This record gives sequence, C-alpha cells and structure tokens, in this order.
Amino acid sequence: MILTLLSLAAWGLAIHRLRHPQAVDRSTAVQRGMLAAIGLGAAGLFFYRWWAVHGRWQPLASHVDGLLLIAALFALTVLYVTSRPKLAGLAAFAVPVLSLVLAWGVCASAWTYKPFDLPTLHPVWNAVHLAGVYLGTCGAALAAMAGGMFLYIQARLKRKAGLESFGQLASLESLEGLIIRAATLGFALLTLGLVAGLVILSDRPLPVEERGWFVLKLSLAVLAWLMYALVMNVRHAASFRGRRAAWLAIAGLALLLTIYGLMVSLPRGGPAAGSEPTAQEAPLAKEPV
Amino acid sequence: MRIVLVGINHRTAPVELRERLALAQDERPAVLDELRRRYPSAEGVLLSTCNRTELYVARPVHEPPSADELRHFLAWCGRIDPPDLLSAISIHREQEQAVHHLFRVCCGLDSLVLGEPQILGQVKRAYEQAVNQGVVGPVLHRVFQQALAAAKQVRTRTGIGAGRVSVGSVAVDFARQVFEDFTDKTVLGIGAGEMAKAAMKHLLGVSPQRLWVVSRSLDRAAALAQSLGLTAPQGGARPWEDLDQAIVEADIIITGTGSREPVLSHERLKPLQKQRRNRPLFIIDIAVPRDVDPQVGSLNNVYLYNIDDLIAVADQGLQQRRQQAQQCETYLNSAVAECMRQIQHRDIGRLVRQLRQRLHELGRLEQQRTSRKLQSLAGGPSNPAMEALLEEHTHRLINKILHLPLSQLDRAPSAAALGFHAAALRKLFALEDTPFSATANGSPADESADQTQRCDDSPSDQAAADSSASRGQTSG
Repeated sequence: MILTLLSLAAWGLAIHRLRHPQAVDRSTAVQRGMLAAIGLGAAGLFFYRWWAVHGRWQPLASHVDGLLLIAALFALTVLYVTSRPKLAGLAAFAVPVLSLVLAWGVCASAWTYKPFDLPTLHPVWNAVHLAGVYLGTCGAALAAMAGGMFLYIQARLKRKAGLESFGQLASLESLEGLIIRAATLGFALLTLGLVAGLVILSDRPLPVEERGWFVLKLSLAVLAWLMYALVMNVRHAASFRGRRAAWLAIAGLALLLTIYGLMVSLPRGGPAAGSEPTAQEAPLAKEPV
Repeated sequence: MRIVLVGINHRTAPVELRERLALAQDERPAVLDELRRRYPSAEGVLLSTCNRTELYVARPVHEPPSADELRHFLAWCGRIDPPDLLSAISIHREQEQAVHHLFRVCCGLDSLVLGEPQILGQVKRAYEQAVNQGVVGPVLHRVFQQALAAAKQVRTRTGIGAGRVSVGSVAVDFARQVFEDFTDKTVLGIGAGEMAKAAMKHLLGVSPQRLWVVSRSLDRAAALAQSLGLTAPQGGARPWEDLDQAIVEADIIITGTGSREPVLSHERLKPLQKQRRNRPLFIIDIAVPRDVDPQVGSLNNVYLYNIDDLIAVADQGLQQRRQQAQQCETYLNSAVAECMRQIQHRDIGRLVRQLRQRLHELGRLEQQRTSRKLQSLAGGPSNPAMEALLEEHTHRLINKILHLPLSQLDRAPSAAALGFHAAALRKLFALEDTPFSATANGSPADESADQTQRCDDSPSDQAAADSSASRGQTSG
C-alpha cells in the first residue's frame, strides 16, 4: 500500500514536470528517489516472501510474487530509462503502469490471495513458465508505456500544439526504438513462458470442465504473442509503423493483464489452482503489499 | 567613480553604421589597450556584436573621458568620422541608467529578438577579454559580475529565453520532436526562393546527412545548392523530374515554390509514403499559396506544418517572452538598485578615508607646529605627556568636526542626496576620486573581492573602521 501511494506521488510529480517543463526544482531528484524506493521496496518484499515465507527454491509461489517482481524490475528499468536525456518525460507515462501493478499487488495480497499449486506441477517447467511470463510482462509494460507516450506526442504534433514542453520530451524516433526493443525482449520471454506452459499442459491432462478456460487462455496468450511479434518487426511490416505499433504495444499489455485477471479470478483457472494458503502464508495473505 | 556608457545599437543606428563599428574578436584587445593608454585612470569594457557596439567606462568623477571623448574614441575604433556618431544615433547613459542598460542587455531585454540567450555569452566574453587586457577595475568588476548573475537568475526564474520566436527555430524544434538524430536524415528543399533558402540554411544547422534542392529550373536549384555550400554526395541540385524519387529518399521536406497549384497532393504522396515504408516524413510548407495539400497532414507518419502554423507558435513564444519581460524588469530594478548602492557605498567609504586622511595630515602638521612653539616657550626638551595630550586633543577635535558631515552622509534619504553630499564634500575639501590605476595593484578579482567585503559595510561603519585605523597610524 505504501509503495502504491509512493508511486502515485511520483506520478503527480511527473505530471507536474510535464506540464511545467521550465520549472527548475528538485522534483526530478525527488521523483528518482521515489522510483528507487519503490524498486528496492518491491524487490525487498519479493525476496522476503521468497526466503522467509515460502521456504521453497522457486521464487514465484503466488500471483503477488509475480506482481512484486514486475514492479521491482519495472521501477528500476524506468529509473534507468528516465535518466537518459533522449527519453525525457517518460516518467509521466511509466509511473501509472507501475501504480497499476502495485495496486493490483495490493488486491492480490489482501483480497484474492491464492498460492500456486506448485506440488502438482513440474517444478522446472513451471518455474520457467512463470518467470518467462512475468518477466515478459515487464518488457510488455515498458513497450506499452513508450507506446502511450508516442501517441501523446504524436497527437500534439498533429494538433500543432505549442512546443513549450517539447524540449523536455523524447522524440518519436527514440520512442519507436524503445517500443521495438522492449517488445523484442517481451516477445522472447513470453515465447519461453508459452513453450514452458505448453510442455506443462502436455504433461498434465486437464479435467474436461477446465479445458474451455485453458483454450481461452492459450488463445489470448498466442494473440498477445503475435502482437509482439508484429511490433518488434514494425520497421519491416511498414503498414503497422507509428501509431498502430504504439496501439498494438498497449493492447498487448492489456491482453496480458486480462489473461492474468482471468486466471486469478476463475475458480480453477491455471497453476493458481485453488490451494489454500499455508500456515506460514496465511497471516501474510491478509497483509496488503 | 562615474559609470558612463556610450555606443550604438540596433535601436539607434542603421545597419551600415553598426557593421562599420562591429569589431572582430581579434581587434578588440588593441582597442582596449588604446583605451588604457589614453585614459589610464578609467576602467573599460567593450561589447561589440552584430547588433551593438557599446563601451562601458568607469572613471574618476572629475577626470576624462567624457561622453564626447568616448564618442570620438569609438569613431576612431570604427575608422569613421566623429560627426557620424552624432548623439542622436548613439546612446549615452550614466550611472544608474548605464548599469540598468547593461542588466537589460544581459537579460536579452534590449535584444532584437526579445530574450535571446546568445547575448549573455557575448557580454561574458567581452568582460573576460577586458579583464585579460587589465582594463577592468573594482567598479566594472562589480557591475558586470552582478549583471551576469542577475541575468542568469532572471532566466531561471522567468524562463524568458524559453520557447522559440523565429519560424526557422520553431521548425527545427518540431523536427527534433520527430527525429532524434539528423545525421542519417535527408532533407529535400523544393523551390529556390529566398524563404526556402532561409529555412534550408536553418536546417543545415542540425547537420543532416544530405540536402537536395529540387526546382523547376535546374540552374536556380544548382545556384541555391552552391550558395548553401552543398556538394555531392552530401547533397546538391536535382531536376524536377526526380522529385518523386527525392521524396522517397527524404525525411524532411521544405517547400517554398511560387506555384499556384499544390505541388504535393494527397494522391501523389500516399503511394510515395508506401514506397518510403511509412518512415516518418516532416514537411514544412512555407509557400503562399501553399505547396502541400492540407489533406497530406492526415497521412500516417506525415507531419505537415505550413507557415501560419510556424508563425503562430513563434508568436506564442514571443507573447510569452513579452509577459515575462515585465517580471524581468521588476527584478532588474531591484538588482540594479542594489548594485548601485554597493558601488556608492564603496565610493563613500573611499571618500571618508580620504577626508580623514586629509584632516589628520593637517592636524599632524598643526600638532607639530604647536609642539615646537610650546617647546620654545618652555625652553626645554619635549614633554611626552604634553605630546600625548596634544595628539589626543587633535584627534578629538577632528572627530568632532567630522561627526556631523559623516552622520549626514549616513542619513542621506536617497542615493541622489548621498551623491550630492559626497560631491560637495569632494569639492569643499578638494578631494580627488581615486582612479582605477591607483587602486589596481593586485589582481582585479582580488580587488573586487576585497571591495565586495568593504562595500557591504555602511558608511558609518566604514568611518569608524577608518577612524581607528588612522588613529593607530598617527599614534604609532
């Protein structure tokens, strides 16, 4: 909860700097400090849950862990990316994604906490699947954030709005490069996750009543995978270049989040197969992240 | 010391005169040396840019150079007849007005393009050059350092230099929002008119990889390419028939033809954009009537700006600068007043010291005379107790005499009254204003730092310090 509030405050600062680019104040340093605190705080919680709570070698034992991992990596990546002069102004678009992930982390820990059914799954393939999917989502979030900023700047350029803030913002060329790089990273990791997921599925016959949900999950995952395949090759698939690529990056993230939402909220919708929290996890399950 | 400014600028003198008086960087040291040779007691800084040539001088109150002498000096610098530098076309400011002018110049408030930032660097270089030539003393040190500091503060506080005010720079700013790097980009100029040339010149400033010029007349295109210094493979002229191919290669297009019909229509550009594989295309249409169909702007990854769009943004920037200029003036007024107060306090401090020295010299002479008379009356050797009594009496008398005029100085209601009183004291006691050459023994920076510390004291504090110092000197 504290991290979420911190990220909302960082977002407020980023919006202020976007609207008042001439104002020279300490907001940049404060915002960087906040992002570092969020990143380190989320990483600290992740490691705490891994070592002190689960007691297993697998770090991802629930959806909360995945969200914490995404938040930590994303915050630190944003901290690095926003320090690049070519990508100025990115924080205003990155921090809301971070807030969303953290807020979801709060919900997933306080109200919908469900540990993954790890003992029934192949441990290595399951770990690869989860790591690939969550880390891939981190890349997808980065691409979506760059896509949002791309659309904002392009809309301003098309509207021929005043340039008073443009000196502070990244160029469309830089943002397109970031979208492609982040999508490539996301694509590679999602591919890994998808392949590992298919191996798990082939190993574990599904009950008939669950098959429908898995077909839906698989279809959406393949669709998201195809989207990123398109985005990373947008310089060759020229008709998708520019605004369309930005929208695809955003839609891809939305799709991934939808898949997570479906899997977490459904009664037996995936590895989070309804096992009850362990005695060690039970008190923590009620603690918002 | 009296601060005098004489010069010309874009408001007062035509360009013919300005360009004759504009001194090249390597000519200025000789001019400053000549100034020092002619007026050794004066400090000077010469600011010479394309829009102004101004000479700032600080001199002792009753010593040369006068404003007329400075005009003659400037005329000599530009090798022009002194009558050409009539007072009507030259500017002449003294004291606070001169300082205020310098502060405004540093902030870009007196520039042709309001708030332009280059002038700050030019003033700094002029000041540093004068320092290197050894013609800057404590007064101009203080004035220029404070002017530069105030200008930086004003720019930070108000952002007067922010935003673009020229069409060319606005276009470049828009282009920068689309492209990160221009070194792999190709610019295409369509038309060979003056407007197109000016815009192309501006874009050459961002160092594109290539710049092609296409015109209906290949000769005119070649002439323009030559005047821009374009040679293959970095660019050059291409025939009109090559236009479509040139558009496919281009990333930025500047059009400025005299055509009555649009040169680039939506129908023409759409297939070309496919051939370009939808790379971003930035088009600046500065022609009237327009060369580019407005529908072109709706194409994906095409960013179209016409002259009105650019002027609107430039006007917006100028409007913002005008609003900020008012804030700047308010801040500058207080900064100038503070600077003048410090200079005046420094002058008053010197005056008080001189006055004390003068009176104590007189007192010492009279004390020696009285002592000799007393010895001859007593007919014996000098009595140390009597000598001490006599010295104390002289000191007390001088201090009582000085008390009233010094307290008047301290209580002066305004800077003008303070100046008037100081001038009266100088005149009545025949005190000279200390020239720069007599004070500049150490390095100018040291002198300035020393003066800064001293001038922060009030006249009465200064007088008290001087009093004790001179007492120690005479008694020792």
